[in-house]
Amino acid sequence: MRNNLFALCLAFMLAACASQGQKSADIEQRDLFDQQQAEQRQQAAKAQDADKQAKVAKEQEELKRQLDEQQRRQQSEQPVVKPMPGTGVGGSQLKGDAWAQLKEPGSPLAKRSVFYEYNRYEIRAEYVPVIEAHSKFLMDHTDLKIAVQGNCDDRGSREYNLALGQRRADSVKRAMVLLGVGDKQIETVSFGAEKPVAFGQDEESWAKNRRADIVYTNEPQ
Amino acid sequence: MSNLNLPMYPSFILPFMPPLLSWRRFFAWSVAAVVLLCVACGRATAGPLAIEIIGGGANQIPITVLPFAGEDRFAQRIGQIVSADLQRSGLFRLGSIGSVRPLPAEPSEINYRYWKNEGAETMVIGSVSETTDGHAEVRFRMMDIAKQSQVLGFSFTITVPQVRMTAHKIADLIYEKLTGDAGVFATKICYVTKSENRFELQVADADGFNSDFILAHREPIISPQWSPDGTRIAYVSFERRKPIVFVHNLLDGTRTVLANFEGSNSAPSWAPDGKKLAIVLTKDGTSNLYVISADGSGLNRLTSSQSIDTEPSFSPDGKYILFTSDRAGGPQIYRMRADGQAEAERLTYEGSYNVTPRYSPDGKSFIFIHRNEGRFNVAVQEIASRQMQILTAGGFDQSPTYAPNGKMILYASEVKGRGILAAVSSDGRIKQRITAQSGDIREPAWGPLPSNRRKE
Repeated sequence: MRNNLFALCLAFMLAACASQGQKSADIEQRDLFDQQQAEQRQQAAKAQDADKQAKVAKEQEELKRQLDEQQRRQQSEQPVVKPMPGTGVGGSQLKGDAWAQLKEPGSPLAKRSVFYEYNRYEIRAEYVPVIEAHSKFLMDHTDLKIAVQGNCDDRGSREYNLALGQRRADSVKRAMVLLGVGDKQIETVSFGAEKPVAFGQDEESWAKNRRADIVYTNEPQ
Repeated sequence: MSNLNLPMYPSFILPFMPPLLSWRRFFAWSVAAVVLLCVACGRATAGPLAIEIIGGGANQIPITVLPFAGEDRFAQRIGQIVSADLQRSGLFRLGSIGSVRPLPAEPSEINYRYWKNEGAETMVIGSVSETTDGHAEVRFRMMDIAKQSQVLGFSFTITVPQVRMTAHKIADLIYEKLTGDAGVFATKICYVTKSENRFELQVADADGFNSDFILAHREPIISPQWSPDGTRIAYVSFERRKPIVFVHNLLDGTRTVLANFEGSNSAPSWAPDGKKLAIVLTKDGTSNLYVISADGSGLNRLTSSQSIDTEPSFSPDGKYILFTSDRAGGPQIYRMRADGQAEAERLTYEGSYNVTPRYSPDGKSFIFIHRNEGRFNVAVQEIASRQMQILTAGGFDQSPTYAPNGKMILYASEVKGRGILAAVSSDGRIKQRITAQSGDIREPAWGPLPSNRRKE
């Protein structure tokens, strides 16, 4: 059952990626800086993107085929399961498991932060697995809610950083919604440069502060 | 709060020579105001502010300010305060107070030959005396030593706690007479202090004295902005765990929520009529500019971009709004019509990061933060010529705010990881640094001139 669900989610995600190619391109266009460097980076990224999209489309087709097969099998084999009202145990027990799963060391779910480059809000490739893991988790537990809190390093303008932090939080929400998470499950907020976790005036500290945090509502400590 | 209760000023002011400044203008002065920077004693947690002057104007105006007769019977010494104000501006060179005592307090007591030999050209004399039930009379004259004639002369009947502000007003009179610009010694500033887990929004005299907080909270406070009449401050507070805009009334200490929509609410900027504010909301997507009435009604959307639009600043005539937008990639400064009609025009092209525009009081230029090779500095740009000048040399300058006469700019900076305030003259020549005893100071905003001194 779990495997099936996972495959379902994956298919969903991939389908979302493919159909939202337009939107990703829109995000990438933000690379249009005055500097040549940025343009080059963008071209490289675009080439990569094209590659990726072709791959994704292929994988997606394959997955869809598998999924259809699985669904056919399920429909024939699986008994209809009805929730048992009145026991009161199921929900909370599941939740306890869920919270434990969230904290499992080594799991991408244990990672709650997405870090960004200076003055940017695109999600870097290395954080895609974190976002995917949390998306899947949220889709498995649609009663759970998260807040995505955007943060910035404290150079420049507090107000511009507040807006940038909002974009960072929004970028995480957008990716999650594209992956299939319910819009209502995710709330975004920006703290701008007001809630730093590192206080040095150096790149190491600034890098730690340029992040979006995923915070589960009511998660036990 | 008590020091914010307005009006706190002169009950009676009378010029005793042919008035060179209309006494009516004086009489009307009622809003406490301030000026530059000095040493402040506040009961706020951040403690006193210390002001250090770095550099000075090229052609300083010589002036001799004598101690006022009777001033040592008061906690606040008028002659000292006037001298400190003028000196801090960087525009004056203070002359010797000689060795002959007693010092003159009235024109008839001046030995012109002696003071001429001491190098005095323009000399300020005066006296202060307690009259009845907590009142005092301050008499002040500015004399031309060569011509042996009076340039300015005023008397003030005040209450004793008003001695300090009276000294600032005297400094303003002298400054205005000798430079031709409005003095800003009797104005107020506000700023945010942070110590450990406490943020305070503080209001102080422009020299840093009489500081007191109007709001204290564990959550951050940013972007304070004075209403044009100086009676209210709009700011952004995170006290409800998200940015919300409040308007705080300084007269009675009450406050109202100006904007608490879904998402972020921030960057308030008062329209010059004080009836509306431009704000930034994310309720409809990305950060966009809106206009809202000061009572929180009548929200009207100004920009509809998919990029970041923030940090509005109204022009003094209310016709335009400057703002920061990343619509071309990085943040740059744009100007749009305040009615939202017509396309916004990009104003900054130098560098890839220009933020926090603030109109000059004459509307001809604006200050902003410019990133130059990794350093963040205050810069000024003329709107017509597009000529830009970098004014500061720090690495992490933020939140510039004009003095109401446009001659000084107060901004947040950083020394050894600590937030400080600093000031620079609009020509970049005079620099001052203001530090709190402990903790950080940031987010300064310079209050307006008292209402009857503003140019129409």
